[in-house]
Amino acid sequence: MKATLLLVVKDLRLEWRTREMITTAGLLAFLLVIVLGATRSDPETAPAAMWVTFTFGATLGFTRTLALERDHLTALLLAPIDRGAIFLAKALANWLLLAVVQVMSIPVFGALFTERVWIHLPALALPLVLGGIGLAATGTLFAGLIVQTRLREALLPILMLPVTLPVLIAAVSATAGILDGQSLSAIGAQLKLLGAFDILFITASWMLFEVVLEE
Amino acid sequence: MRLLLILGAVLMLVGATWALVGAPTEALQGLPQRIMYIHVPSVITAYTALLVVFAGSVLYLWRREARWDRLAHSAAELAVLFISMTLLTGAIWGKPVWGTWWTWDARLTTTLILWFIYVGYLIVRAWAPGARGARAAAVIGIIGVLDIPLIHWSAILLRTLHPQPTIFRPEGPALPASMIPPLAINNVAFLITFVALLILRVRQERTLGTLIDALEGQ
Repeated sequence: MKATLLLVVKDLRLEWRTREMITTAGLLAFLLVIVLGATRSDPETAPAAMWVTFTFGATLGFTRTLALERDHLTALLLAPIDRGAIFLAKALANWLLLAVVQVMSIPVFGALFTERVWIHLPALALPLVLGGIGLAATGTLFAGLIVQTRLREALLPILMLPVTLPVLIAAVSATAGILDGQSLSAIGAQLKLLGAFDILFITASWMLFEVVLEE
Repeated sequence: MRLLLILGAVLMLVGATWALVGAPTEALQGLPQRIMYIHVPSVITAYTALLVVFAGSVLYLWRREARWDRLAHSAAELAVLFISMTLLTGAIWGKPVWGTWWTWDARLTTTLILWFIYVGYLIVRAWAPGARGARAAAVIGIIGVLDIPLIHWSAILLRTLHPQPTIFRPEGPALPASMIPPLAINNVAFLITFVALLILRVRQERTLGTLIDALEGQ
Protein backbone atom coordinates (compact mmCIF):
# COMPACT_ATOMS: atom_id res chain seq x y z
CA MET A 1 0.00 0.00 0.00
CA LYS A 2 2.80 2.36 0.94
CA ALA A 3 4.69 1.34 -2.19
CA THR A 4 1.62 2.06 -4.30
CA LEU A 5 1.31 5.56 -2.86
CA LEU A 6 5.03 6.21 -3.35
CA LEU A 7 4.77 5.22 -7.00
CA VAL A 8 1.69 7.36 -7.56
CA VAL A 9 3.42 10.35 -5.99
CA LYS A 10 6.48 9.72 -8.17
CA ASP A 11 4.38 9.58 -11.35
CA LEU A 12 2.41 12.67 -10.41
CA ARG A 13 5.58 14.61 -9.57
CA LEU A 14 7.07 13.59 -12.91
CA GLU A 15 3.90 14.71 -14.64
CA TRP A 16 3.81 17.95 -12.69
CA ARG A 17 7.34 18.81 -13.80
CA THR A 18 6.91 18.01 -17.48
CA ARG A 19 3.13 18.40 -17.85
CA GLU A 20 3.54 16.24 -20.97
CA MET A 21 0.44 14.07 -20.69
CA ILE A 22 -1.96 16.58 -19.31
CA THR A 23 -1.03 19.04 -22.06
CA THR A 24 -1.43 16.56 -24.92
CA ALA A 25 -4.42 14.62 -23.55
CA GLY A 26 -6.16 17.77 -22.32
CA LEU A 27 -5.62 19.63 -25.58
CA LEU A 28 -6.83 16.63 -27.60
CA ALA A 29 -9.95 16.39 -25.44
CA PHE A 30 -10.65 20.10 -25.83
CA LEU A 31 -10.10 19.82 -29.58
CA LEU A 32 -12.46 16.82 -29.79
CA VAL A 33 -15.24 18.67 -27.97
CA ILE A 34 -14.88 21.50 -30.46
CA VAL A 35 -14.73 19.21 -33.52
CA LEU A 36 -17.69 17.09 -32.36
CA GLY A 37 -19.61 20.18 -31.31
CA ALA A 38 -18.99 21.90 -34.63
CA THR A 39 -20.75 19.07 -36.47
CA ARG A 40 -23.65 18.73 -34.07
CA SER A 41 -24.11 20.05 -30.58
CA ASP A 42 -27.38 19.40 -28.79
CA PRO A 43 -28.41 17.62 -25.58
CA GLU A 44 -29.09 14.41 -27.55
CA THR A 45 -25.52 13.94 -28.73
CA ALA A 46 -23.83 15.23 -25.56
CA PRO A 47 -23.43 11.87 -23.72
CA ALA A 48 -21.89 10.05 -26.70
CA ALA A 49 -19.63 13.00 -27.54
CA MET A 50 -18.47 13.12 -23.91
CA TRP A 51 -17.41 9.49 -23.84
CA VAL A 52 -15.75 9.60 -27.25
CA THR A 53 -13.72 12.52 -25.93
CA PHE A 54 -12.78 10.78 -22.68
CA THR A 55 -11.87 7.54 -24.44
CA PHE A 56 -9.62 9.28 -26.97
CA GLY A 57 -7.95 11.33 -24.27
CA ALA A 58 -7.51 8.19 -22.18
CA THR A 59 -5.94 6.03 -24.90
CA LEU A 60 -3.51 8.84 -25.75
CA GLY A 61 -2.44 9.27 -22.14
CA PHE A 62 -2.42 5.58 -21.21
CA THR A 63 0.12 4.51 -23.86
CA ARG A 64 2.64 6.51 -21.84
CA THR A 65 1.84 4.70 -18.58
CA LEU A 66 4.85 2.43 -18.64
CA ALA A 67 6.63 3.96 -21.59
CA LEU A 68 7.47 6.93 -19.39
CA GLU A 69 9.63 4.67 -17.29
CA ARG A 70 11.87 4.32 -20.36
CA ASP A 71 15.17 2.85 -19.24
CA HIS A 72 13.98 2.76 -15.65
CA LEU A 73 11.48 -0.02 -16.27
CA THR A 74 14.09 -2.57 -15.23
CA ALA A 75 14.80 -0.58 -12.07
CA LEU A 76 11.09 -0.49 -11.27
CA LEU A 77 10.85 -4.24 -11.79
CA LEU A 78 13.93 -4.89 -9.64
CA ALA A 79 12.47 -2.89 -6.76
CA PRO A 80 11.14 -5.15 -4.01
CA ILE A 81 7.52 -4.27 -4.78
CA ASP A 82 4.61 -6.55 -5.54
CA ARG A 83 3.55 -6.35 -9.22
CA GLY A 84 -0.03 -5.86 -8.10
CA ALA A 85 1.09 -2.70 -6.27
CA ILE A 86 2.68 -1.42 -9.48
CA PHE A 87 -0.59 -2.03 -11.29
CA LEU A 88 -2.61 -0.19 -8.65
CA ALA A 89 -0.20 2.75 -8.72
CA LYS A 90 -0.23 3.04 -12.50
CA ALA A 91 -4.01 2.63 -12.69
CA LEU A 92 -4.52 5.27 -10.01
CA ALA A 93 -2.19 7.71 -11.78
CA ASN A 94 -4.00 7.05 -15.06
CA TRP A 95 -7.38 7.53 -13.46
CA LEU A 96 -6.27 10.86 -11.95
CA LEU A 97 -5.08 11.96 -15.37
CA LEU A 98 -8.39 10.99 -16.93
CA ALA A 99 -10.30 12.71 -14.11
CA VAL A 100 -8.40 15.94 -14.79
CA VAL A 101 -9.30 15.64 -18.48
CA GLN A 102 -12.95 15.06 -17.52
CA VAL A 103 -13.03 18.03 -15.15
CA MET A 104 -11.42 20.22 -17.81
CA SER A 105 -13.79 19.26 -20.60
CA ILE A 106 -17.10 19.17 -18.71
CA PRO A 107 -17.44 22.99 -18.66
CA VAL A 108 -16.89 23.04 -22.42
CA PHE A 109 -19.70 20.50 -22.83
CA GLY A 110 -21.85 22.68 -20.60
CA ALA A 111 -21.12 25.70 -22.75
CA LEU A 112 -21.41 24.07 -26.17
CA PHE A 113 -23.82 21.12 -25.85
CA THR A 114 -26.31 21.52 -23.06
CA GLU A 115 -26.86 23.65 -19.99
CA ARG A 116 -28.26 20.62 -18.19
CA VAL A 117 -24.68 19.60 -17.38
CA TRP A 118 -24.62 22.34 -14.73
CA ILE A 119 -27.93 21.36 -13.12
CA HIS A 120 -27.06 17.68 -12.81
CA LEU A 121 -23.37 18.08 -11.98
CA PRO A 122 -23.37 16.08 -8.69
CA ALA A 123 -25.22 13.08 -10.19
CA LEU A 124 -23.07 13.24 -13.31
CA ALA A 125 -19.99 12.60 -11.18
CA LEU A 126 -21.18 9.03 -10.60
CA PRO A 127 -20.90 7.64 -14.17
CA LEU A 128 -17.83 9.83 -14.77
CA VAL A 129 -16.00 8.29 -11.81
CA LEU A 130 -17.20 4.69 -12.29
CA GLY A 131 -16.62 4.74 -16.06
CA GLY A 132 -13.28 6.48 -15.61
CA ILE A 133 -12.09 3.76 -13.22
CA GLY A 134 -13.09 1.05 -15.72
CA LEU A 135 -11.21 2.78 -18.55
CA ALA A 136 -8.15 3.33 -16.34
CA ALA A 137 -8.05 -0.31 -15.15
CA THR A 138 -8.30 -1.88 -18.63
CA GLY A 139 -6.09 0.81 -20.17
CA THR A 140 -3.34 0.20 -17.62
CA LEU A 141 -3.48 -3.57 -18.09
CA PHE A 142 -3.22 -3.34 -21.87
CA ALA A 143 -0.60 -0.58 -21.75
CA GLY A 144 1.53 -2.90 -19.63
CA LEU A 145 0.85 -5.77 -21.99
CA ILE A 146 2.08 -3.98 -25.10
CA VAL A 147 4.82 -1.76 -23.69
CA GLN A 148 7.47 -4.06 -25.11
CA THR A 149 5.81 -4.78 -28.45
CA ARG A 150 6.17 -2.88 -31.67
CA LEU A 151 3.50 -0.40 -32.70
CA ARG A 152 2.21 0.00 -29.15
CA GLU A 153 0.48 3.30 -29.85
CA ALA A 154 -1.65 1.62 -32.53
CA LEU A 155 -2.28 -1.52 -30.51
CA LEU A 156 -3.71 0.07 -27.36
CA PRO A 157 -7.00 1.34 -28.84
CA ILE A 158 -7.41 -1.84 -30.91
CA LEU A 159 -7.22 -3.98 -27.77
CA MET A 160 -8.83 -1.62 -25.32
CA LEU A 161 -11.94 -0.42 -27.17
CA PRO A 162 -13.71 -3.77 -27.67
CA VAL A 163 -13.01 -4.87 -24.11
CA THR A 164 -14.26 -1.58 -22.66
CA LEU A 165 -17.44 -1.54 -24.76
CA PRO A 166 -19.62 -2.45 -21.72
CA VAL A 167 -18.21 0.56 -19.87
CA LEU A 168 -18.92 2.87 -22.78
CA ILE A 169 -22.47 1.61 -23.36
CA ALA A 170 -23.37 1.77 -19.67
CA ALA A 171 -21.66 5.12 -19.12
CA VAL A 172 -23.25 6.79 -22.16
CA SER A 173 -26.64 5.39 -21.20
CA ALA A 174 -26.28 6.54 -17.56
CA THR A 175 -25.03 9.98 -18.62
CA ALA A 176 -27.98 10.35 -20.99
CA GLY A 177 -30.40 9.34 -18.23
CA ILE A 178 -28.94 11.89 -15.80
CA LEU A 179 -28.99 14.71 -18.36
CA ASP A 180 -32.64 13.81 -19.02
CA GLY A 181 -33.31 14.45 -15.37
CA GLN A 182 -34.01 10.83 -14.43
CA SER A 183 -33.50 9.73 -10.84
CA LEU A 184 -30.49 7.63 -9.88
CA SER A 185 -32.67 4.55 -9.33
CA ALA A 186 -33.81 4.74 -12.98
CA ILE A 187 -30.21 4.23 -14.13
CA GLY A 188 -29.41 1.72 -11.39
CA ALA A 189 -28.76 -1.10 -13.89
CA GLN A 190 -26.15 0.98 -15.74
CA LEU A 191 -24.37 1.99 -12.54
CA LYS A 192 -24.39 -1.63 -11.35
CA LEU A 193 -22.82 -2.75 -14.62
CA LEU A 194 -20.13 -0.07 -14.31
CA GLY A 195 -19.42 -1.17 -10.74
CA ALA A 196 -19.27 -4.85 -11.71
CA PHE A 197 -16.90 -4.08 -14.59
CA ASP A 198 -14.61 -2.03 -12.33
CA ILE A 199 -14.44 -4.74 -9.67
CA LEU A 200 -13.86 -7.56 -12.16
CA PHE A 201 -11.18 -5.75 -14.12
CA ILE A 202 -9.31 -4.31 -11.16
CA THR A 203 -9.17 -7.81 -9.62
CA ALA A 204 -8.23 -9.60 -12.85
CA SER A 205 -5.59 -7.01 -13.81
CA TRP A 206 -4.14 -6.95 -10.33
CA MET A 207 -3.70 -10.74 -10.51
CA LEU A 208 -2.44 -10.80 -14.10
CA PHE A 209 0.05 -7.93 -13.82
CA GLU A 210 2.68 -10.34 -12.45
CA VAL A 211 2.63 -12.05 -15.86
CA VAL A 212 2.33 -8.81 -17.81
CA LEU A 213 5.53 -7.30 -16.46
CA GLU A 214 7.66 -10.42 -16.72
CA GLU A 215 10.93 -10.00 -18.61
CA MET B 1 -6.70 -36.32 -37.49
CA ARG B 2 -7.24 -37.25 -41.15
CA LEU B 3 -9.97 -39.66 -40.07
CA LEU B 4 -11.69 -36.90 -38.10
CA LEU B 5 -11.50 -34.55 -41.06
CA ILE B 6 -13.13 -37.14 -43.35
CA LEU B 7 -15.75 -37.96 -40.73
CA GLY B 8 -16.52 -34.26 -40.31
CA ALA B 9 -16.83 -33.74 -44.07
CA VAL B 10 -19.11 -36.76 -44.50
CA LEU B 11 -21.34 -35.71 -41.61
CA MET B 12 -21.50 -32.19 -42.99
CA LEU B 13 -22.65 -33.57 -46.35
CA VAL B 14 -25.33 -35.69 -44.67
CA GLY B 15 -26.40 -32.78 -42.46
CA ALA B 16 -26.52 -30.31 -45.35
CA THR B 17 -28.54 -32.65 -47.55
CA TRP B 18 -30.97 -33.40 -44.74
CA ALA B 19 -31.26 -29.70 -43.95
CA LEU B 20 -31.94 -28.78 -47.58
CA VAL B 21 -34.14 -31.69 -48.64
CA GLY B 22 -35.41 -33.59 -45.60
CA ALA B 23 -36.19 -30.86 -43.09
CA PRO B 24 -39.55 -29.04 -43.28
CA THR B 25 -39.81 -25.49 -44.55
CA GLU B 26 -40.54 -23.07 -41.74
CA ALA B 27 -44.04 -21.59 -42.08
CA LEU B 28 -43.27 -17.90 -41.47
CA GLN B 29 -39.71 -17.45 -42.63
CA GLY B 30 -39.73 -19.87 -45.55
CA LEU B 31 -36.51 -21.09 -47.15
CA PRO B 32 -34.08 -18.57 -45.59
CA GLN B 33 -34.68 -20.28 -42.25
CA ARG B 34 -32.60 -23.24 -43.49
CA ILE B 35 -29.48 -21.17 -42.90
CA MET B 36 -30.03 -22.04 -39.24
CA TYR B 37 -28.41 -25.42 -39.95
CA ILE B 38 -25.03 -23.72 -40.42
CA HIS B 39 -25.58 -20.59 -38.33
CA VAL B 40 -26.24 -22.39 -35.05
CA PRO B 41 -23.40 -24.96 -35.42
CA SER B 42 -21.02 -22.09 -36.29
CA VAL B 43 -21.82 -20.14 -33.17
CA ILE B 44 -21.66 -23.22 -30.93
CA THR B 45 -18.27 -24.12 -32.41
CA ALA B 46 -17.07 -20.51 -32.08
CA TYR B 47 -17.87 -20.36 -28.37
CA THR B 48 -16.33 -23.82 -27.85
CA ALA B 49 -13.16 -22.47 -29.48
CA LEU B 50 -13.19 -19.47 -27.12
CA LEU B 51 -13.37 -21.80 -24.14
CA VAL B 52 -10.40 -23.75 -25.54
CA VAL B 53 -8.47 -20.46 -25.88
CA PHE B 54 -9.34 -19.63 -22.28
CA ALA B 55 -8.31 -23.06 -20.99
CA GLY B 56 -5.09 -23.02 -23.04
CA SER B 57 -4.23 -19.51 -21.81
CA VAL B 58 -4.80 -20.38 -18.15
CA LEU B 59 -2.78 -23.60 -18.44
CA TYR B 60 0.03 -21.79 -20.24
CA LEU B 61 0.34 -19.07 -17.60
CA TRP B 62 0.20 -21.68 -14.87
CA ARG B 63 2.46 -24.39 -16.30
CA ARG B 64 4.54 -22.37 -18.81
CA GLU B 65 4.59 -25.23 -21.30
CA ALA B 66 4.69 -24.19 -24.95
CA ARG B 67 2.11 -26.81 -25.93
CA TRP B 68 -0.69 -24.98 -24.05
CA ASP B 69 0.24 -21.80 -25.85
CA ARG B 70 0.10 -23.61 -29.21
CA LEU B 71 -3.35 -24.93 -28.29
CA ALA B 72 -4.63 -21.46 -27.35
CA HIS B 73 -3.14 -19.84 -30.46
CA SER B 74 -4.59 -22.44 -32.83
CA ALA B 75 -7.99 -22.30 -31.15
CA ALA B 76 -7.99 -18.48 -31.38
CA GLU B 77 -7.49 -18.63 -35.16
CA LEU B 78 -10.40 -21.06 -35.46
CA ALA B 79 -12.49 -18.93 -33.10
CA VAL B 80 -12.07 -15.94 -35.42
CA LEU B 81 -12.96 -18.16 -38.38
CA PHE B 82 -16.15 -19.52 -36.81
CA ILE B 83 -17.18 -16.13 -35.39
CA SER B 84 -16.80 -14.68 -38.90
CA MET B 85 -19.00 -17.49 -40.27
CA THR B 86 -21.58 -16.84 -37.56
CA LEU B 87 -21.70 -13.12 -38.36
CA LEU B 88 -21.88 -13.68 -42.12
CA THR B 89 -24.57 -16.39 -42.05
CA GLY B 90 -26.47 -14.34 -39.48
CA ALA B 91 -26.43 -11.27 -41.72
CA ILE B 92 -27.57 -13.32 -44.74
CA TRP B 93 -30.39 -14.79 -42.63
CA GLY B 94 -31.32 -11.45 -41.13
CA LYS B 95 -31.74 -9.61 -44.42
CA PRO B 96 -34.80 -11.52 -45.75
CA VAL B 97 -36.33 -12.27 -42.34
CA TRP B 98 -35.79 -9.09 -40.29
CA GLY B 99 -35.34 -6.87 -43.34
CA THR B 100 -31.89 -5.79 -42.20
CA TRP B 101 -28.33 -7.13 -42.38
CA TRP B 102 -27.50 -5.93 -38.92
CA THR B 103 -29.19 -4.87 -35.72
CA TRP B 104 -27.74 -3.82 -32.34
CA ASP B 105 -29.15 -6.82 -30.57
CA ALA B 106 -27.40 -8.24 -27.50
CA ARG B 107 -26.23 -11.49 -29.11
CA LEU B 108 -25.13 -9.86 -32.35
CA THR B 109 -23.25 -7.11 -30.56
CA THR B 110 -21.53 -9.57 -28.22
CA THR B 111 -20.42 -11.79 -31.10
CA LEU B 112 -19.13 -8.86 -33.14
CA ILE B 113 -17.16 -7.43 -30.21
CA LEU B 114 -15.66 -10.87 -29.54
CA TRP B 115 -14.53 -10.92 -33.17
CA PHE B 116 -12.64 -7.65 -32.54
CA ILE B 117 -11.11 -8.91 -29.29
CA TYR B 118 -9.78 -12.12 -30.87
CA VAL B 119 -8.57 -10.36 -34.02
CA GLY B 120 -6.64 -8.18 -31.56
CA TYR B 121 -5.31 -11.38 -30.00
CA LEU B 122 -4.01 -12.55 -33.40
CA ILE B 123 -2.48 -9.12 -34.13
CA VAL B 124 -0.57 -9.22 -30.83
CA ARG B 125 0.68 -12.70 -31.76
CA ALA B 126 1.80 -11.46 -35.16
CA TRP B 127 3.61 -8.39 -33.83
CA ALA B 128 5.10 -9.83 -30.67
CA PRO B 129 6.64 -13.21 -31.40
CA GLY B 130 8.11 -15.56 -28.82
CA ALA B 131 7.35 -15.95 -25.14
CA ARG B 132 6.51 -12.27 -24.67
CA GLY B 133 3.76 -12.42 -27.29
CA ALA B 134 2.55 -15.72 -25.87
CA ARG B 135 2.13 -14.20 -22.41
CA ALA B 136 0.41 -11.08 -23.75
CA ALA B 137 -1.92 -13.21 -25.84
CA ALA B 138 -2.73 -15.46 -22.89
CA VAL B 139 -3.79 -12.42 -20.86
CA ILE B 140 -6.07 -11.30 -23.71
CA GLY B 141 -7.46 -14.83 -24.04
CA ILE B 142 -8.46 -14.78 -20.38
CA ILE B 143 -9.77 -11.20 -20.36
CA GLY B 144 -11.82 -11.88 -23.50
CA VAL B 145 -13.81 -14.69 -21.91
CA LEU B 146 -14.25 -12.78 -18.63
CA ASP B 147 -15.68 -9.92 -20.67
CA ILE B 148 -18.38 -12.02 -22.41
CA PRO B 149 -21.06 -11.72 -19.68
CA LEU B 150 -20.40 -7.99 -19.29
CA ILE B 151 -20.64 -7.30 -23.02
CA HIS B 152 -23.84 -9.32 -23.18
CA TRP B 153 -25.29 -7.54 -20.17
CA SER B 154 -24.42 -4.11 -21.58
CA ALA B 155 -25.94 -4.96 -24.96
CA ILE B 156 -29.18 -6.08 -23.26
CA LEU B 157 -29.35 -2.57 -21.83
CA LEU B 158 -29.73 -1.44 -25.42
CA ARG B 159 -32.39 -3.64 -27.01
CA THR B 160 -32.99 -7.15 -28.25
CA LEU B 161 -34.47 -8.58 -31.45
CA HIS B 162 -32.67 -11.91 -31.79
CA PRO B 163 -34.85 -14.94 -30.95
CA GLN B 164 -34.40 -16.39 -27.48
CA PRO B 165 -32.79 -19.85 -27.21
CA THR B 166 -35.09 -22.47 -28.73
CA ILE B 167 -33.20 -25.68 -27.88
CA PHE B 168 -31.17 -25.36 -24.69
CA ARG B 169 -33.79 -24.05 -22.31
CA PRO B 170 -35.32 -25.33 -19.09
CA GLU B 171 -38.73 -26.18 -20.62
CA GLY B 172 -37.21 -28.42 -23.29
CA PRO B 173 -36.65 -27.72 -27.01
CA ALA B 174 -39.18 -25.49 -28.79
CA LEU B 175 -37.87 -26.46 -32.21
CA PRO B 176 -40.05 -28.94 -34.17
CA ALA B 177 -38.72 -32.48 -33.76
CA SER B 178 -38.19 -32.84 -37.51
CA MET B 179 -35.67 -29.97 -37.49
CA ILE B 180 -33.53 -31.38 -34.71
CA PRO B 181 -31.72 -34.34 -36.44
CA PRO B 182 -30.13 -32.29 -39.26
CA LEU B 183 -29.21 -29.54 -36.79
CA ALA B 184 -27.67 -32.06 -34.40
CA ILE B 185 -25.75 -33.77 -37.24
CA ASN B 186 -24.38 -30.42 -38.41
CA ASN B 187 -23.43 -29.48 -34.85
CA VAL B 188 -21.46 -32.68 -34.45
CA ALA B 189 -19.94 -32.27 -37.92
CA PHE B 190 -18.79 -28.71 -37.17
CA LEU B 191 -17.32 -29.68 -33.81
CA ILE B 192 -15.47 -32.67 -35.31
CA THR B 193 -14.09 -30.46 -38.09
CA PHE B 194 -13.04 -27.93 -35.46
CA VAL B 195 -11.17 -30.59 -33.48
CA ALA B 196 -9.50 -31.89 -36.66
CA LEU B 197 -8.39 -28.40 -37.74
CA LEU B 198 -7.25 -27.65 -34.20
CA ILE B 199 -5.04 -30.76 -34.16
CA LEU B 200 -3.69 -29.84 -37.58
CA ARG B 201 -2.79 -26.29 -36.52
CA VAL B 202 -1.26 -27.41 -33.21
CA ARG B 203 0.94 -29.90 -35.11
CA GLN B 204 2.00 -27.23 -37.60
CA GLU B 205 2.91 -24.86 -34.77
CA ARG B 206 4.86 -27.62 -33.05
CA THR B 207 6.84 -28.31 -36.23
CA LEU B 208 7.47 -24.59 -36.60
CA GLY B 209 8.68 -24.42 -33.00
CA THR B 210 11.04 -27.35 -33.55
CA LEU B 211 12.40 -25.72 -36.71
CA ILE B 212 13.00 -22.40 -34.95
CA ASP B 213 14.74 -24.18 -32.07
CA ALA B 214 16.91 -26.10 -34.50
CA LEU B 215 17.89 -22.94 -36.38
CA GLU B 216 18.65 -21.01 -33.21
CA GLY B 217 20.65 -23.94 -31.86
CA GLN B 218 23.16 -23.66 -34.68
